[in-house]
Amino acid sequence: MTVVDTGLAGEYAAIYAYGAVAVHLSGAPRDLAEALEAEHRERRDALLDFYDEHGLEAVHAEAAYDIEPIGDAATAQALLLDVEERLTTTWRAGVASEDPAEREICLNMFMASATALARWRVVLGEPTAVPWPGRPSE
Amino acid sequence: MFTTRRGLLIGAAALAAAGCTETSAKIIESDDDLTAALRRARTLAQAADSLGYPDIAEDHLTHAATLERLLLPSTVGEESGAEQSIADAAALAEAEAEASGEARESCLTTTGDYAVLFGEIAASRAAHAAVIA
Repeated sequence: MTVVDTGLAGEYAAIYAYGAVAVHLSGAPRDLAEALEAEHRERRDALLDFYDEHGLEAVHAEAAYDIEPIGDAATAQALLLDVEERLTTTWRAGVASEDPAEREICLNMFMASATALARWRVVLGEPTAVPWPGRPSE
Repeated sequence: MFTTRRGLLIGAAALAAAGCTETSAKIIESDDDLTAALRRARTLAQAADSLGYPDIAEDHLTHAATLERLLLPSTVGEESGAEQSIADAAALAEAEAEASGEARESCLTTTGDYAVLFGEIAASRAAHAAVIA
């Protein structure tokens, strides 16, 4: 499984997560969740184009993903923030690729993911400045 | 494959471990890009601080400190005045986006050891541009 495979699988999971829990949100968080779900779909499509262009076979989405029960907006926001943080870490790892095309697609996804994460933090009133997005905690 | 949230966590953690940026100062091909990134970081730090974005300024200072270490034993002198053209939030967002693009190009053209470093700087600057705008 390549790093792009893992990232694509993460994008599928993110789309599922947004679709499953955004209903618990309202106001600005709901607006952002809907915008980011659309962006994840665009990123999935860009990734599938990448597979087509390079004659590769893309991994498929699962029918469903096991997510914790969501009872309120706070839990929904925490889940979606967690999804974005993990995706950012995943795509960051792909930037280390020595394959130029793979590095470029991972970098594009990494930058988009870090930006999505910052937008979530703005909406949630959390500090947005992060010098090393996606870097695992030491 | 991300079949569960736990699976997503494990997959992300494994890949993150594979991409850690313990960079080596042995690579010299990227010195020009490191120097350019350092100058940009200093300029953006001063501009962000003067416009009331201390957290963002701190990010740039963190980048600058790392870049200075990587360039040792060479040193890059301080420049002044460049930040004066960044007079408001819109100009800062534009400068962040432009600087993100520069770091992105460096990421795509550098040797692997510095690719993640430049990628992180590009992503951080892109996030700054998004939240300032």
